[in-house]
Amino acid sequence: MYLVADNARGAGEGAAASLPSDRWQDFPYSTLSHHGELCCEIAREWVIANDFAQLNGGDRTTGPRWMRAKYEWGPSVWPLHWCEAVSRKVIDCGAHSALAHEAFVARGLTAYRAQFVQRYSADATAQWRLKWGGEQASDHWLTDDVIYHEGNALLVADGVVKLWDGSAGWWLNPRQTGGYGSVASVRIFADTDQPLRWGEHRIVPNTWHQIAAPAVEPAMDEAQSSAFFKK
Amino acid sequence: MKIYVSGLYSGGNPQPGIGIARSVREAFPEATMVGVEYSNRVSGIHWDGFDDLWIQRPWDELDLEAYGERVTEELDAGALWISGSDLEAMWLADLLPEGHPNLLAPSMPALRRITKPAVEAASGLPVKIPTHTSTDRSDWDLHAFCRQHNWRVWLKGPYYDAARTPSWDVFEAARNALTKVWSTERLFLQAHVTGYEESVMLSAYRGELLGAVSMRKRDITAEGKTWAGDVSEVAPEFLAPLRAMVKDLNWTGGGELEMVRDAGGQLWLLEMNPRFPAWVHGATLAGHNLPGLLVERASGQRAQPAAHQSDEFTRIVLEVPVRDEFPLPPLPEPFAGAVGHSMKHPSGLTSLAKKLHKTNPELIAGSAGDDEPHDPLPAIPETFIDDIRSYDFAEVQTPQFLFMDSTASSLFRKAAERSHRLSTNGVTVASGYSIKTNPDERLIKLALNNGFYAEAISLLELHKALEVGFRPDQVILNGPGKWWPEGMMPRERMHAVFCDSVADLDRVVVAMNAGELSAAHVGVRIRTPNITSRFGIPLDSPATFRKLIEAVKRLPTDTAFGVHFHMASANVGVAQWWHLLESMLKWCRSIEKLSGRTIEILDMGGGWFPDDWHASEDGKFATAVDTVRTMLPGVREIVSEPGKAMAQPSMALAMRVLEIQEHEEDYVEAVVDASIAELPMYFFYPHRMLRQCGETGELQPIGRGKTHLMGRLCMEHDIVAANVELPEGTRAGDLLIFCDAGGYDRSMSYVFGRG
Repeated sequence: MYLVADNARGAGEGAAASLPSDRWQDFPYSTLSHHGELCCEIAREWVIANDFAQLNGGDRTTGPRWMRAKYEWGPSVWPLHWCEAVSRKVIDCGAHSALAHEAFVARGLTAYRAQFVQRYSADATAQWRLKWGGEQASDHWLTDDVIYHEGNALLVADGVVKLWDGSAGWWLNPRQTGGYGSVASVRIFADTDQPLRWGEHRIVPNTWHQIAAPAVEPAMDEAQSSAFFKK
Repeated sequence: MKIYVSGLYSGGNPQPGIGIARSVREAFPEATMVGVEYSNRVSGIHWDGFDDLWIQRPWDELDLEAYGERVTEELDAGALWISGSDLEAMWLADLLPEGHPNLLAPSMPALRRITKPAVEAASGLPVKIPTHTSTDRSDWDLHAFCRQHNWRVWLKGPYYDAARTPSWDVFEAARNALTKVWSTERLFLQAHVTGYEESVMLSAYRGELLGAVSMRKRDITAEGKTWAGDVSEVAPEFLAPLRAMVKDLNWTGGGELEMVRDAGGQLWLLEMNPRFPAWVHGATLAGHNLPGLLVERASGQRAQPAAHQSDEFTRIVLEVPVRDEFPLPPLPEPFAGAVGHSMKHPSGLTSLAKKLHKTNPELIAGSAGDDEPHDPLPAIPETFIDDIRSYDFAEVQTPQFLFMDSTASSLFRKAAERSHRLSTNGVTVASGYSIKTNPDERLIKLALNNGFYAEAISLLELHKALEVGFRPDQVILNGPGKWWPEGMMPRERMHAVFCDSVADLDRVVVAMNAGELSAAHVGVRIRTPNITSRFGIPLDSPATFRKLIEAVKRLPTDTAFGVHFHMASANVGVAQWWHLLESMLKWCRSIEKLSGRTIEILDMGGGWFPDDWHASEDGKFATAVDTVRTMLPGVREIVSEPGKAMAQPSMALAMRVLEIQEHEEDYVEAVVDASIAELPMYFFYPHRMLRQCGETGELQPIGRGKTHLMGRLCMEHDIVAANVELPEGTRAGDLLIFCDAGGYDRSMSYVFGRG
């Protein structure tokens, strides 16, 4: 993730955050740099041509999972150039998102860069902090139990998107609104003001959208509820 | 209230009985639950939620008439029965053709209308059926089906079992195994659909839809079975036609529509099961107790409301105590020297299947919905017959390859005509004859006379072409062995040379600069990623791609540049080949952009199965030519090399029957004087076969049956055809003719067992 003030800690650092995304309010999505020479152009052309080859005759809206198979998810030190990103064995979510975006657009699809805030646990973030620190990479994306993450929004129908998590190689599940790994906030960078539908969620582009936590199931009465939680 | 529940198998591919019983128990805590099974090896009988067990002898031992009477008595006495087994549900429908108010399973007419793969009853649902075909068809047609679907196909059994068949030998082995297990040859092939699996489960009583839920698989076992899933309401656009379908079928009982949702969101229906699925209790945990609704409606007793616990469910493995009254049976002895214990189908289901499809053959999968006419015999082109009849077989010493003169002439002429039609003022389309597919001089001559280029992979092949009459500027040289044998490289200008590696390219550059090699076009063969191949320059990493770009820049600038792309369409499949072509063009565009070299010649093709090449309409090729012109405007010539498509039909192999051995159950072994030394491609594709009647001389097509044709060699694997049907009256001395033997069968045949 390319942030100018990478390790300088954002303005929201330390402040009491009312929303999971507050800390990353002004964070841009990651952008691969280009040396302006053949090295980076070869890398870019290779990603596009290889992505089409890997489609294997399948549907163009298939997620480019080959990228996750080729590049493990892990720390990247930014800035990162095209020629550097494609020669790494490990790249972070920002690089994954940048590569996937290039592939989607080259396929003739409408795709947008996307940012997520996801819920994990203190144990998970401690592990990641250790790993990123060991590689001298910024850990600005970690807090105690939520993380900043990047992916892609792919327009699959008029006003309807699917969210691709290239670091994991899967589409995010819009039905999950709470718990470990769930999406707490989404921001989609789109050239439209019209809300985009992700599952049942209506997401206004270019601003953080908070995903509602699951409502208490009204059909479960008190007796049933206590019986369930005793199990 | 007494409720019988069957289908208690709880292994890796579980039946739904335990889930049904758990759900019914939640809805009716006071009900008497009786577990029904046909093997005491099934672990579900030890679940402590059953009040009683009804353990029957396996189906292969059961007296079905007596057992049917017992079941009917229980139903008449007021007990309900929920079947958790497809085959048991079919048997019950057969037992009670008029139905029974307490039998919570579909009727025979309803079952007939959900026979897979077509599932006629589901025609109103917003689903598509994956392309399929019955194995009733000839092997020739089945091979074509596999090629058309890129060998991404499933061979499916009549009720259960499916096998991926990525090649012909795997298909044959799977067909033999499934045929044996299910006692029927009525299997079907179905094209694979890539996507996420999901299901709709329903509960209905006498045509009234009581409830339905959707489930998406979220974790899957190695067998592809649900291990975890999420449950949701059925979409309104699905629910309305589902309700209509249930009404139309007058459905009673549980049901499951198993589907795949592709990347574009389209649902593909794989099958409809006449019972609740094994994940049924996962839906109950989500507040949708469908077995409870079914029992409520059938019994008139009010069910406890279902409690919603989670929209998602998963499975865990639990050990449970074995019931004292049903101690574990011993494990069968492994066959001597064998590995493992044969344990499949302990309840004798395959035996029940055999009994059922004697009485209800229409229930067998694949028997309905395939509208295309089936001919179990392959079509033999007229030119084949004419060519074969031109031989005086009294003079033919078998085994002998027969040159199919008019067939070959016709194929070369048609290919030349197609090239001419596809050519434009700006782009010439030409054909190339791959000498390695069959170096017979008659075929090389036909190529020459029809304006083909000669494509050689060695200098010996190149000189063979020159000897037949090709000029050097009509020759294309490629492959990793182009320098072999040393000292034979012509000094005259060839039409094109394609380099198989960067090292090869560097050698070509040096030779050209030294005046030791000359060609109007020099280029590279590229190896597209994601397809296994040992040929061409790989593109599977940015580093290798960079090496290619740098190498192309080193090519002499006074020679035109080209790209060579060959991939056997017979192996990767036809649609896949066209995708590879498009992919290759994108690579070419990048190569042009990054190297600064314009591509002027494209050589593409390789390994086409004759029917795919010759039967394909010009339209597909014309579109390809247009695409090339759009993406690579500098291309002046496209060389289309169909590979074995020219050679394979151009020869047949004549052989004679040496001996016929008749064994038990109609199984026959016939020994012939040919062998795999003459038919080395036998394992890779079927050959169309004819027998010449010894009395009338009539040529009779050979279909599928129980005869194995054994080669003359004392080699265990020398079987030139399995499962064929020799016409009545065939005897030693009769002539058999294997068509389609003019490609690699001929060029790769070897001398063996001839002294």
